[in-house]
Amino acid sequence: MVDPLLEAADEGEPFAGERRRFLLEDTGFNEVPVKYRRFYRKWRGAGDALAPNEVICPVCRVVIRSTRELRPGDRVYCMPCMSRLVVVRGESGMLEARVSY
Amino acid sequence: MAVDGSPRMMDVHDLEHDAFLEEVHSFEFWFQAVEGYLSGTVDGHRPETRDEPPVGLERERLVTTLCNYCVGETAALEGASGLIAIAPNRISKVFLATQVVDEGRHLEVLLRRLADLGVADPESEVERRASPSLQLFRRRLLELVAGRDWEAAIFAQNVILESLEYAVFHTHASNADPVTREVLEGIIKDERRHIGFGENELGRTLARSPHIRARLGQVRNQLDHLVLDMLETTAREIGVDRHEQERLGRTYRESVERLGFT
Repeated sequence: MVDPLLEAADEGEPFAGERRRFLLEDTGFNEVPVKYRRFYRKWRGAGDALAPNEVICPVCRVVIRSTRELRPGDRVYCMPCMSRLVVVRGESGMLEARVSY
Repeated sequence: MAVDGSPRMMDVHDLEHDAFLEEVHSFEFWFQAVEGYLSGTVDGHRPETRDEPPVGLERERLVTTLCNYCVGETAALEGASGLIAIAPNRISKVFLATQVVDEGRHLEVLLRRLADLGVADPESEVERRASPSLQLFRRRLLELVAGRDWEAAIFAQNVILESLEYAVFHTHASNADPVTREVLEGIIKDERRHIGFGENELGRTLARSPHIRARLGQVRNQLDHLVLDMLETTAREIGVDRHEQERLGRTYRESVERLGFT
């Protein structure tokens, strides 16, 4: 089976503008194959906070992480629940994710 | 950790949607995912976890609850296996094959937990203690599958039933004995895929064919009172208060409402 991460990496699509980039490390999230684990983590409840490269999946409540700072309009994927999401600015001013079927 | 000037790391969110769908519905993805959290477990929990089963009335309540979970898992096992034949494409068929395996595992570990709790004949006990609402839901679901109604059956099984289970198992795991908690936490990890599959599959279908919304609304109306009855019964058995019961109800309704059913 072709590794989709390697396949997409070869496309060489440039990052947008001046966004901060993030080096993702394995968070111990074990619900997806090893090569995808760094893109997800568990929400740790009260006291936890989202970084600029993170949003919560509204379907399964897993924290989704990106290698770049997220902005409204960005697309992210939640692999644990197989959802495609779009980042929006919520009423609270925080970034949120909405399911995009 | 933020970095500047470092080599670019490939981002999974750059995948094309088709490539993403192909990947997450694959058997290989499923296999590597479940290996991450089931490897080293026996009957759904770590062998070294100390068993501190409840006694007396608490044990009776747990047995009744687990019996009803078995009915729900049996319904999902039968439903998912029947749905493979009518799934509209290959990736859905392969995904449902993995769901069948998940549901079979859930049923097995729950029956083993009942045996651990001293139930001599778990399958007979399931029959004896099964909630009438849950049994009726199971019959309705299997009628939809037998009628080859893909959208309605996926709605009933992977949205309504799985959302209910996901919400209830989450709450139950938070106040269960250690072994039962680990068994439920393993099931919850599988359920993320199942609810996500149902919501996204139906969401895409509704976007293409909005006329089916009315029919699915009727299915919801037929099943909702059964689900809410099951929710209330189970909440009572696992000992949650009224406030938590209301939160459970909201959690159950969220996925249905995201699909536009209010």
